[in-house]
Amino acid sequence: MARVARTMPNLGTSTELGTRLVEALGSGVALTQPEDLAVYAFDAYSEDRLPTAAVVPRDAREVGIAVRIARECGEPVVPRGAGTGLCGGAVPRNGGLVVSFARMNRLLELDARNKRARVQPGLINLALSKAIAAEGVFYAPDPASQKISTIGGNVGTNAGGPHCLSYGTTTNHILGLEYVDAAGEVHRTSLDDPGYDVTGVLVGSEGTLGIVTEIDVRLMTLPEAVRVGLAAFADVESASEAVSAIIGAGIVPTALEIMDKLIVDAVEAHYHAGFPLGSGAVLLVEIAGAAGDMDESEAVLARIAREHGALSWRTARDAAERDALWASRKGAAGAIGRIAPNYYIQDACVPRTKLPQVMHEIDRIAREYRLPVGNVFHAGDGNLHPLLIFDRRVARDVQAVVDAGTEILRTCIAMGGTISGEHGIGYEKRESLSLVFTTDDLAAMGRVRDVFDPGRNFNPDKIFPSGAVCGEVKRAHVA
Amino acid sequence: MIAVGAFALGDRTPRRVDEPADAAAVAALLKSCSTAGEAAVIVGGGTLQGIGNAPARYDRAIVMRRLDRIASYDPRDLTIGIEAGMTIAAVTQRLAEERQFIPFDVPRPHEATVGGTLAAGWAGPRRAAYGALRDLVIGSTAALTDGTLATAGGMVVKNVTGYDMSKLYVGSLGTLGAIVRANFKTLPRPAMRRLAVAPLGPQSEERAVAALGSVMVEPAAALVVRGFTGKTTGVNDESVRLVVLFEGSAATVDRATRELRSQLGANGVAQTHLFEEAAAERAFQTTIDATIEPLADRSITYRSRGIPTAAWARMDAAHTHIERLGLLADAIADVRTGDVYVRVAAGVREVLEDRLADADATVRRVLGRATLVAGEPGLRARLDAWGSPPSTIATMRALKARFDPAGTLAPGRYVGGI
Repeated sequence: MARVARTMPNLGTSTELGTRLVEALGSGVALTQPEDLAVYAFDAYSEDRLPTAAVVPRDAREVGIAVRIARECGEPVVPRGAGTGLCGGAVPRNGGLVVSFARMNRLLELDARNKRARVQPGLINLALSKAIAAEGVFYAPDPASQKISTIGGNVGTNAGGPHCLSYGTTTNHILGLEYVDAAGEVHRTSLDDPGYDVTGVLVGSEGTLGIVTEIDVRLMTLPEAVRVGLAAFADVESASEAVSAIIGAGIVPTALEIMDKLIVDAVEAHYHAGFPLGSGAVLLVEIAGAAGDMDESEAVLARIAREHGALSWRTARDAAERDALWASRKGAAGAIGRIAPNYYIQDACVPRTKLPQVMHEIDRIAREYRLPVGNVFHAGDGNLHPLLIFDRRVARDVQAVVDAGTEILRTCIAMGGTISGEHGIGYEKRESLSLVFTTDDLAAMGRVRDVFDPGRNFNPDKIFPSGAVCGEVKRAHVA
Repeated sequence: MIAVGAFALGDRTPRRVDEPADAAAVAALLKSCSTAGEAAVIVGGGTLQGIGNAPARYDRAIVMRRLDRIASYDPRDLTIGIEAGMTIAAVTQRLAEERQFIPFDVPRPHEATVGGTLAAGWAGPRRAAYGALRDLVIGSTAALTDGTLATAGGMVVKNVTGYDMSKLYVGSLGTLGAIVRANFKTLPRPAMRRLAVAPLGPQSEERAVAALGSVMVEPAAALVVRGFTGKTTGVNDESVRLVVLFEGSAATVDRATRELRSQLGANGVAQTHLFEEAAAERAFQTTIDATIEPLADRSITYRSRGIPTAAWARMDAAHTHIERLGLLADAIADVRTGDVYVRVAAGVREVLEDRLADADATVRRVLGRATLVAGEPGLRARLDAWGSPPSTIATMRALKARFDPAGTLAPGRYVGGI
């Protein structure tokens, strides 16, 4: 795992918070010992301070109590799903309280006919789809972390995944929420209610506006037929050209993913799923829908792929092979972890027509900084994930990764893109937010923050840049 | 000088009408209104102004029609940036040239604008298949009352950079800011569109709705329409009909049609009329138009959202109860999304006036959450358009106060008197 901004954990200082939490919730729910708190000091991006305390509540009422006590103690509150976030969103920067949803992990209600379910935030993403598959429905957002990440965490970052291409991201699948506000009060939102779309604003707010305690999700009907095709290309640029052509031809597969040689070789060494070794890039295409459409759709995709230089085209033989291909695609980052001392995964998004050009630029940047780069990304969405490979013990490498990462982001912005497609801003990218948005843009977002969390107790130091812009937002608030 | 009368809302008429030329001018106008303590209403095509209450104060109408350009469109990206004042029909036509579409599904598309449709939170039947407009918006710029222009999102289809502010402006009825531009995902046009319309007898409605669930191909839209005589497809439109839209490949649409006919036939529905392509689009549009179509000056129309499987029964109950009051009811149950529309009318206006309070209480009791979406302003003025506010109303009020501290934007028009 890449932990670029590593600092030594140190102990929290407030004993009042811990004492009061234990009093109110018991030592089974409230944790205060450093050995119990150690697991709450990091996520998949970085490690930071130990929290002063953590709670593992059983229901919204307990979340509310914990939030109220933290507020009275003047301590920040950081909600936490599975800790798979890549931007430091679940890391306590300044001690305070971490709220873990490990105990609130149930599927509460399923209404398959109306394609909705009510779940607790700690429910693991894949566990939901597995639990409901027999009813002929599934939950579409499928981040690569779905075997361990929680739906609550997915709501926090508005998580994506390969199948967002036709199904949309997490926000498109959330019908309503229950959340605890900054005062510890419990509220419920629904898209069916009149009024401002509080649901839509909470999704993707990374725990800075409220703490979600229940989630109403939209489910989809399992497709009648699914087909996964694999095309091998000489290089990433030509695979990207094929993707642009597929989208430009008005075809929207359910997923359209590219892996370059470095990734394919690592994945194949680990999973043996049958990816073609030795080619410069592999395009993974999934189509889903009515059985009668599969042959024609596949023929069109294969033709476009060939026209753009595909060296081969084949489809997975059966569901088992499809699942193996997807499992290895989603395990790509882990496979890289086996061959590289450290890696840093970047997340950015560009308009789809800019794909070939941006891939060329990423290659140039990596060369310039003398860093090996692997690319595994949601090509159909223009959502890039260059993995920069480095060795943490080499100071030059660490600096080069940071600088190359920033240059990649600047390149994407210059092409009309943005700095995060699905991982979030967290504190990793907070200072980069002002590369994308003006002071006025950020001030409007700051107003929403003012309303939901005037005391800045919810996940402070995340999303918004520190310094000048924040100061201006604050001054505007005072005025 | 523009006649102010055309911009009246309820019994309020603005003193002045402005047609700003661009986004900066909209922002400057909002700031000057805010500074001067004037109340302003943002006006698009005016087609959805039956949604919401009349404003408590109304000094100026700010008409967005000069912001009518496509700001950015590379069809190969499947995204488009559109200025707020462009009509839905104009956008749809431009997209069609590239064999693309956005399922706006809004009444009167030749007048309705992009900004107005979004601000009204319009969500049409095809959202069950393609997502609602809120889900297809990938970025926006809003003019705020402090004179700033605030952008959120962008022109990419996946974006978690900063708060999703567009969600806040969509459906806010112009009470937080004026949407000056919106960016959308576009969709490739399906190879085939077909609308099936089946007349239903009084005993076959519920069975027909249930039979629809056995059709393996999910329709793009499916509605049960009662009444709206002469206002929809022309098939059985003095009575009840099932309206089903299929979109997809020719093979799949043909299969869907066969399955539908077979399922309906097994449930006593003998006839199914088919409309293809342009005729299907026209017939579907007339059904959407009906959702807010008034009956002269003697009707009001409610919309209620809920779960799809209960839509028909809720519509049926509302219809029955309204007729029991000696009033006329026309109704639509969207069995894919769960939306129910009920138009309450009377043969003579005075009858509806007399029974208005009863009718309002009845509809809200039977449908649950129901909001007024259309009707004669004098009748609507006697009712609260929104019904009881949702539990997050305090947060909504705080958002309003933070974005529009002087109460410049359509005061009193929104939920809970916002």
